[in-house]
Amino acid sequence: MKTNFDEGCALCGSTWGDLWAPIEGEQLFFCCRICEVQLRNMAQEVKRRTGWSTIDRIDLDGDFTGRECEARQGERKFRFSIRFDGQGEIAAFQETAA
Amino acid sequence: MWLNRNLTKRQTDVGQLTELLAAFFEVGDDGLETWLKRRFVAKFFGARPHPFIAAMQRPSRATLLGYAIEHRHFLRQWVRSCAQIMANTDRDDVIRYELDNLNTEFGGGRGATSHYELLLRMAESLGVGRERLLAYEPLPDTRDAIAAWQAIATGEHWLEAMAATHGLELVAHPGLRASGACLPYFGPGILASEEYSPETRAFLREGFESDGAHADTGLRLVAGYANELGLVAQVQATFLRSLDSFHRYLSARLARANQIENEL
Repeated sequence: MKTNFDEGCALCGSTWGDLWAPIEGEQLFFCCRICEVQLRNMAQEVKRRTGWSTIDRIDLDGDFTGRECEARQGERKFRFSIRFDGQGEIAAFQETAA
Repeated sequence: MWLNRNLTKRQTDVGQLTELLAAFFEVGDDGLETWLKRRFVAKFFGARPHPFIAAMQRPSRATLLGYAIEHRHFLRQWVRSCAQIMANTDRDDVIRYELDNLNTEFGGGRGATSHYELLLRMAESLGVGRERLLAYEPLPDTRDAIAAWQAIATGEHWLEAMAATHGLELVAHPGLRASGACLPYFGPGILASEEYSPETRAFLREGFESDGAHADTGLRLVAGYANELGLVAQVQATFLRSLDSFHRYLSARLARANQIENEL
């Protein structure tokens, strides 16, 4: 799985930090543990709601106050908005219109 | 995380980071009070305002109940923080300020109803009786924020605790729009709207009318004593820590609102 951040943290794009962790079978770079937890929770929630077994890519837009995202698997797309609490758990998740 | 949210998401060398930090903490000719206000506005009322504040422009019943349920825990901590400041300060004007603030927020008296009582009445008007409201445990982000404020109140200088506590009253300050805030704390028509219960309007009105003055007086005292005691940098740092906790706490209000929404 990839995100739209080719450089830096897979969730937020920051180039601080030095954390590598596997997400959906891919070693991804994160600036901090919270971003790793958030992306992991995000991917799990997408798969739960869509029934997909894998995710090819998630494009993320926004910041810690809230993100608008689009997940893709092959030709299929799933758009959603998401917000996390201070522990990286999902505080709000809403599927949005294509 | 702090660097990402306040300075830059691009990793820089020590030299450039030093310059960024110096610029961030530079008080300048406008003074510490203005610096504190500016940082507050940037964090909660900037281009992407806190989602709870966005929700308060036209709050649903669930949003107001989320507010009430978490806020009563906040107000209980408020009492502890103010009491700790009073216990540790050696300044009479600070003690008088904290006593007045405590009575307004929690104690009531002199014919005035405390914010705490107004909060409970708001919740009752929204269908949640006080026994039921008082039974709610705080959400994790509220609990963690309270623990952070308690740690500041008991572990830091009383002046830092004062900045950390009363700086938060800026959230309802009616003058923040003039300081660059993109939104008011709540929708301006609410206080005159019969769409909202009289108890809800009374609670919001009281905060609107008193919190701004509390913040102004409190931060004026903080700025004055910070310069006198040589604690400007400490006040800035602890204030920022408090803002981080407040940000999480406001998110908890929204998380509770979502819970209530799902129950409806």
